[in-house]
Amino acid sequence: MLLPKFDFHEPASVEEACQVMAEFKEKAKPLAGGTDLMVNMKKKIVSPEQIVSLGRIDTLKDLSRENGTLKIGACFTVADLAVSETVQKLVSALGSGGRALGSPLVRNLATIGGNIGSARPAADLPPSLMAYGARLSIESSRGSRELDIEKFFKGPGMTALAPDEVITAIHVDIPGPGAGAGYINIGVRRAQDCNIVNVASFLALDEKDGAVKTARIVMGSVGPTPMRAPTAEKVLVGSRPDASLFAEAAAAAEQDCSPILDFRGSAEYRRAMVGVLTRRTLEIALKEAQRG
Amino acid sequence: MSRFNVINSRARRIDTPDKATGRAVFIDDMSLPGMLYGALVQSPVAHARIVGIDASAAAKLPGVKDIVTAKEAGMIKYGVSPARYDETLFCHDKVRYVGDEIAAVAAVDREIAQEAVSLIKVEYEELPAVFTVEEAMAAGAPQLHDEYPGNVCAEVHQEFGDVEKAFAECDLIRTTTFKNKRQDAAFIEPMGCIAAYDLSGRLTLYSSTQVPHYVQRTVAMVLGLDVGRVRVVKPYVGGGFGIKAAANSGEMAASLLSKRTGRPVKLTYSREQVFMFGRARHGFAHTMTTGVKKDGTLMALKHECYLDGGAYSSFGIATVYYAGSLLGGPYRLPNMKYDGFRVYNNKPACGAQRGHGGVAARAAWEQQLDMIAEELSIDPVDLRLKNMMQAGDTTCNDLNMSSLGMEECIEAVKDGSGWTSKKGKLPKGKGIGMACGFFVSGAGYPIYRSDTYHGTVVIKLTEDGGTALVYTASAEIGQGSDTTFAMIAAEALGVPLSSVRLASGDTDMGVDLGAYSSRQTLMTGHAVKEAAEDVKAQVLDVMADELDVPADKMDIKDGKIVFTAGDVDISALRTRYIKEHRGWIDNIEEGPLTFKEASRIAYLARGSIVGTGKYKPPELGGKFKGAAVGTSPAYGCSAQVVEVEVDMETGHIKIEKMTDAHDCGLAINKTSVEGQMHGSLSMGLGEALYEEVKFDEKGRVINSDLAEYKIPTSLDMPNVDTIIVESDEPNGPFGAKEVGEGAIMPTIPAILNAVYDATGVRIFELPLTPERVYMALKKAKKKNA
Ligand SMILES: Cc1cc2nc3c(=O)[nH]c(=O)nc-3n(C[C@H](O)[C@H](O)[C@H](O)COP(=O)(O)OP(=O)(O)OC[C@H]3O[C@@H](n4cnc5c(N)ncnc54)[C@H](O)[C@@H]3O)c2cc1C
Repeated sequence: MLLPKFDFHEPASVEEACQVMAEFKEKAKPLAGGTDLMVNMKKKIVSPEQIVSLGRIDTLKDLSRENGTLKIGACFTVADLAVSETVQKLVSALGSGGRALGSPLVRNLATIGGNIGSARPAADLPPSLMAYGARLSIESSRGSRELDIEKFFKGPGMTALAPDEVITAIHVDIPGPGAGAGYINIGVRRAQDCNIVNVASFLALDEKDGAVKTARIVMGSVGPTPMRAPTAEKVLVGSRPDASLFAEAAAAAEQDCSPILDFRGSAEYRRAMVGVLTRRTLEIALKEAQRG
Repeated sequence: MSRFNVINSRARRIDTPDKATGRAVFIDDMSLPGMLYGALVQSPVAHARIVGIDASAAAKLPGVKDIVTAKEAGMIKYGVSPARYDETLFCHDKVRYVGDEIAAVAAVDREIAQEAVSLIKVEYEELPAVFTVEEAMAAGAPQLHDEYPGNVCAEVHQEFGDVEKAFAECDLIRTTTFKNKRQDAAFIEPMGCIAAYDLSGRLTLYSSTQVPHYVQRTVAMVLGLDVGRVRVVKPYVGGGFGIKAAANSGEMAASLLSKRTGRPVKLTYSREQVFMFGRARHGFAHTMTTGVKKDGTLMALKHECYLDGGAYSSFGIATVYYAGSLLGGPYRLPNMKYDGFRVYNNKPACGAQRGHGGVAARAAWEQQLDMIAEELSIDPVDLRLKNMMQAGDTTCNDLNMSSLGMEECIEAVKDGSGWTSKKGKLPKGKGIGMACGFFVSGAGYPIYRSDTYHGTVVIKLTEDGGTALVYTASAEIGQGSDTTFAMIAAEALGVPLSSVRLASGDTDMGVDLGAYSSRQTLMTGHAVKEAAEDVKAQVLDVMADELDVPADKMDIKDGKIVFTAGDVDISALRTRYIKEHRGWIDNIEEGPLTFKEASRIAYLARGSIVGTGKYKPPELGGKFKGAAVGTSPAYGCSAQVVEVEVDMETGHIKIEKMTDAHDCGLAINKTSVEGQMHGSLSMGLGEALYEEVKFDEKGRVINSDLAEYKIPTSLDMPNVDTIIVESDEPNGPFGAKEVGEGAIMPTIPAILNAVYDATGVRIFELPLTPERVYMALKKAKKKNA
């Protein structure tokens, strides 16, 4: 498999990148780690004529904490995400997603922005980011905007990005006391596997009575985009968390998803696993929320 | 202390420095001046008549140097076994699977070659296709080959003893069915070659192959060249596992293109083409009925098997025989009936893969034996020990166990795993299982009928003295055979390993049938040993003349001449040696006469000292039809215990620990033996849990890459406790026999048995994906509810 021909740009700043993107629009694609884009180009699924590498733009590689928010640069690598103590301490479910992604070799190249940009229904980072309620900074030569990550995914490989836009950062509000999240993915083997199902759950408990104040459950690989489980969330909110409540939520999540059958797994199995992973991620989230 | 100086150790592999630093040369690293790039035109449809081929646009593409089709290649039929030559280099009348080769091009670079391929227009008239054994055998099914009606490629019907009579005497008879899936060996290096036809009409073919010898014969036959004009050279190879154990279409196409253009032609397969080419493990469907006495004594096995063969025979005839014959041992089984059918269909051909023919059969039967043990309330270990053959026993199908450390293997894994404290005592979700197996140390007969030696070896001592050059046509494909043979040569000659230099994998060096059927250590090893003993005798012969000491009162050990009947004055010889080396500062002034000095003196007396060795097994096996398949001069055997944890909610199986004991006879290199054990176990684990080549409804492979075809990663592979059991094999060089394939035999059934122990549910279909396990658990729950 050979790569199609293309022109290569290496802008040194976001502004410059945006200029190139504005010039070529649909013909251009940003390149981060390339672990998704290069594969698709070799398979001739996409053949952009202009490749705009973001690798030289150092400001996209930062991780910083501003007030109650963690700001992650779009080119922060998954390898760094997987080992970052800050990530583990403040947004552990995202760290779990990072560690679950690919292999060490892939993680060294793969970026968080690329994972979001690829818009794969089975991708490892979007579920926890959605569960945390993350927001994306998006820039173009026309200006910048912020977008709730939930509004970003439009279908397999399809996003809310205009052809000239790039993601520059991801903002995650750091969960306060009484809140926590969990992420679990399953495939066939233990690593380097396309997920069959992946689920992230976020819980925030009421300080007074310990009842669930906020619940966000995000299911991956069981629809065209990672999707919320609204019925399951409704089951949780207002009740005190325990095993039977989680079982009820898990059963509701199974009905919230719309899995398809493909060669990786049947719809029946995927649906059942949504239930198992919903319950297990809720248990992790609860433990984190209660750790004080 | 070992009684050996070189072998039976953990000597470092001789290719380690090159491989560790990336200097080892593989096909992909090679290029020759003026080299062209070849590419294959392969069928996109599974079954069709070829109406026409229009290569005119491709021929006009600048940079394209040649295009060949069946018209240029001719119709000479080839295959693996002469009994079933059913392939031509290019299809002329019809294509039989997605990937069937129709044409090839040579161009100045790879891009142009691929573009030319896309410009060649083939007109097809599609034919109905069959993709399963059932479809292919149905009445009125489309036929693949006119010569083989009913799509039956080969069938086997054998009975040893009287199975029905034995069943009448049994206390318990159980029948189970079992299915595995088509495999891909997932070796790291796809096939590739460079063919260079020179101006004097000789072809040198560099290829990533396990079998230079068979490739040489097949390429010569198909191209109509004299065998003597074809030389096959194997650089370093990144694994083969059976798929590279026969000539492939790329080798023949590149050779033809090179012959026609007069330029070297490189042709490599992509990973997708590796999957399309197939030739890995068949899909097997087994039905086995086993009868036993109340005390567990095995009485009889009735066995029926259908093989999903694919479009061509490849190794299939041998495979269908092996699937039956390899159940003859390692248990005493007086009565065995086997009916096997290998069936054609419109998928890539299946062939041989590690544990050829026997792996799925072994899995099916060892699981059934555990079920029987449970019904009889006998510990699975005890059931096996009770029925185990002993060294010297012969199976009902005439396979002789000249050595058999089976009992030691069982005891070793039982103790090593803590079996007694775990079996039946683990909590739900955790389980332990065991199984046994055995395998040939080299097929008793070549693939084509011949009296040829299976291996010849030449050892030449360098004229300066001190270095033994070993020339063998055997194939180092990553398993470590070069190191093994260098060690055997050093041991037999009595010199340190550093005094041996070895070259291999070149048909100019002799005959060697290659790396398949776990044959090289025993067979090539014999030839190496004989050649080393030959040169040693020649050196000692000269010493006898020079020193006036009988040759049988001398020996060579660790690079020194040893006199066994008292001191001998060697000063005259030494002076002669030193005189020839005036100015050298490292001349030996005192101490015993060295091999270096002796071999130099021998050269001065006789010219170049060259020794030869050869090996061919004695006539083996019974007289019945197919008796040859399964014969071997020796059999390796093994036992394994596997411990698993099963997630009862998701169906995920985690292999927690594997304990493996293998009887390889004398271990020439212990590290290499363990390497084969580790490799076998991981391959078996993959086949048991994950691997399956999947097709769409048009016969196209849908998981033709290593992301979707799932082999174990390092996280899936548990700690492995490897225990080497060393029986003394009378037919092996220094008592050595196989480990390369036998070690995979018990892995799958041990996992199956452990999963049952953990879950209480038997599963009769591979792979044990989380979904399959989940569904099985769910079904069992429903049934019990
Ligand atoms: C062997 C292998 C295993 C893998 N395993 C996993 C896995 O387990 N889990 C998983 O989720 N993924 C996996 N992937 C997919 C891939 O590695 C990840 O999605 C990774 O995060 C992509 O990041 P990247 O930086 O390499 O993206 P790239 O390939 O560079 O880009 C991906 C897409 O996003 C766009 N893009 C990149 N950056 C931006 C940006 N800043 N703004 C706008 N658009 C952008 C690109 O144009 C492209 O369309 C695997 C890939 C391989 C090759």
